[in-house]
Amino acid sequence: MRAFAMLVLGEARMVVRDTAGLVVPLGLPLLILLTSTGDAAETEVAPGRSALDVIVLPIVVTTVVAMVGVINLPSFLALYRRTGILRRLAVTPVSPLMVLGAQAVVGVVQVLLGTGLALTVAVVALDARLPADALAALGVLLLAVATLFSVGLLVASIARTPNAAVALGLVLFLGLGAAGGMFGGSDQLPGPVGVVGAALPYGAAREALGAVAAGGAVPTTPLLALAAAVVAGTAVAAATFRWDR
Amino acid sequence: MSEPAVAVSGATKHFGATTALDDVSLTVAPGEVVGVLGVNGAGKSTLVDLLAGLRRPDSGSVRVLGLDPVRERRAVRRVLGVQLQQPRFHDSLTVDELVDLHRSFHRDPVARDELLATVELTGRRTTRFEHLSGGQQQRLSIALALVGRPRVVILDELTTGLDPRARRRIWATVETLEEQTVLLVSHAMDEVARLCDRVVVLHAGRVVAEGTPAAVVAFVGADDLEDAFVRITGHDPAPDEDDRDEDLG
Repeated sequence: MRAFAMLVLGEARMVVRDTAGLVVPLGLPLLILLTSTGDAAETEVAPGRSALDVIVLPIVVTTVVAMVGVINLPSFLALYRRTGILRRLAVTPVSPLMVLGAQAVVGVVQVLLGTGLALTVAVVALDARLPADALAALGVLLLAVATLFSVGLLVASIARTPNAAVALGLVLFLGLGAAGGMFGGSDQLPGPVGVVGAALPYGAAREALGAVAAGGAVPTTPLLALAAAVVAGTAVAAATFRWDR
Repeated sequence: MSEPAVAVSGATKHFGATTALDDVSLTVAPGEVVGVLGVNGAGKSTLVDLLAGLRRPDSGSVRVLGLDPVRERRAVRRVLGVQLQQPRFHDSLTVDELVDLHRSFHRDPVARDELLATVELTGRRTTRFEHLSGGQQQRLSIALALVGRPRVVILDELTTGLDPRARRRIWATVETLEEQTVLLVSHAMDEVARLCDRVVVLHAGRVVAEGTPAAVVAFVGADDLEDAFVRITGHDPAPDEDDRDEDLG
């Protein structure tokens, strides 16, 4: 347990000292929020809930989780593999799961800080309302994190170089995002794309977060889609993990 | 007779059409310091990978203190310390932070102060790894290989690329390892002649000579170990810089 805590601490120090690495988790949510809000705060789309609460904020949160999980996480792991850090760790008693876990924990902290900052600004400056059921919202958020991070681990296991990890991560991020409603509602997408996109990690996460924000029950389909993606992604990533190039 | 610290028996490893190791057998007794010599592509790094459990042999067996490095991975890593060729660690962590991180991996680690004193890095505790000189990075790498009080230590290309003063300081560090079994993988004949009880010469994936440095020299009627190496392998032991990354595995 101490080894895991020290790995998390080491990873956290690396992230903090790499100032540029904080731009995505801390700056991006604010940027998306401020450029997407428009008159969403005045448009009611559910009883007592604005488009900002139900549409924009779920997109902000899902986008941050996806960027950290699908792009940042695999690029760090690929860099560690490329530079030999993973190979060096491989000759110590730590397990691959511990290394991946430490990366994931630091990623989750980044997501929580980034979304926390964005939500604070949304509530204080834009009159957004947080979900009434905070526990359900947190549960869905953690499931979304697990799903999109497992996609990132999958990318890390496939990509042979840091550049390949970034490229593959970006393609997946944009593809999953576009099909899942990042650039507009699913109703504006061609029928099959919208249906498939809603079942993929980004779309399912956005939909589930939107449902919690609207105050209703979370539909089963996106939750099942997220859970299935976690299991499949993690299993494949664990099976294909490489310490070395 | 006590169990060998390292026992490699008939180990063969292929990478595609290339044979990196061809029926290699090697036994190292507890407390021995054994040098593994060979030019680039001789199979030294592949041998290190097999011993460290980073790869499996295609055939044959590898044991460290009787343990299978792949199947009994965690147990082996508790008794084996490895300093890999070209030390790589988290660049922006300091010496203290890296030592603390690696200490946390072991049940009974060496105290931080003692470890840093051994490798003469006490004055660099707050320096980030990326800001250490090559020799300091190498010494830290050795320290981190020793942090778990390993019974077997593998030192791969211990002083490659270092200046003479840095080499001597690292040799002095290795000479303090009196209780450990050491496998020293090297191109450097002077280093091996000074530090090792016994040498094993690998060439084209096979063991082509084995014995004390004096016995190997005498066996081929050479003047010194370097001369013996050239006669045995037909290669100049000093590699071109550009060749280093081509070492198999």
